[in-house]
Amino acid sequence: MTSKGTSTFIAQRASAVLLLPLICWFLWAVIAHAGASYAEMRAFASEPLSAGLFAALIVVGAAHMRIGMAEVIEDYIHSGLKGLLMTLNWLAAICVAGAGVFAALTLVFAG
Amino acid sequence: MADGSQASRPLSPHLQIWRFTVTMAASITHRATGVALYGGAILLSAWFFALAAGPEAYGPVSAIVGSPFGLVVLFGFAWSLFFHTLNGLRHLYWDTGRGLDPKMATMTSWLVYGGSIVLAVLVFILALN
Repeated sequence: MTSKGTSTFIAQRASAVLLLPLICWFLWAVIAHAGASYAEMRAFASEPLSAGLFAALIVVGAAHMRIGMAEVIEDYIHSGLKGLLMTLNWLAAICVAGAGVFAALTLVFAG
Repeated sequence: MADGSQASRPLSPHLQIWRFTVTMAASITHRATGVALYGGAILLSAWFFALAAGPEAYGPVSAIVGSPFGLVVLFGFAWSLFFHTLNGLRHLYWDTGRGLDPKMATMTSWLVYGGSIVLAVLVFILALN
């Protein structure tokens, strides 16, 4: 991992900066649609722009959280468990991002 | 040392030796909220997936979210998001080499704690009005 320090540092900050406008949009979406019915929420989330922003928030968030958790694991876990946890961390991030993208595509194309 | 022997090199004092400072608390809270948001991201992704899957999947999820327990979790998620985002801005500012002197770092720690609580309450009031 030593050769990847700089790119990881940059990826964590680039994803942080990308998350700033996405979080602002997300907060607006939550406030504007709190208490909405299933049909209303689905109609909003099925708009390509909304679905795309939801997917972007979840994918960029997954990338950011994977790097953050990897740092936590590296700080505290020095046993043989480290490799397993790093793999599980990758899997969790891929599942979160994959579910987000799959859901966005379903909403846009199935309506 | 852990085995009771003396280390021949100088050792850094353990956590409880240090005087409590708000900058230290903010650093720990940044990490703690980051870990909490890891769970929050999984829940957000699951909620979005349930929305796409259909009303049968979404019904139970939105019932949990709207329950007293769900609202407490949601408030924790909102506060964690605001704390981590505001403190993240602080980190980005530090990356430019500014704001690192003790006086400024202490003031911005308090600002992040205060601001995150105010914003979390504000979002809840706006969402539940």
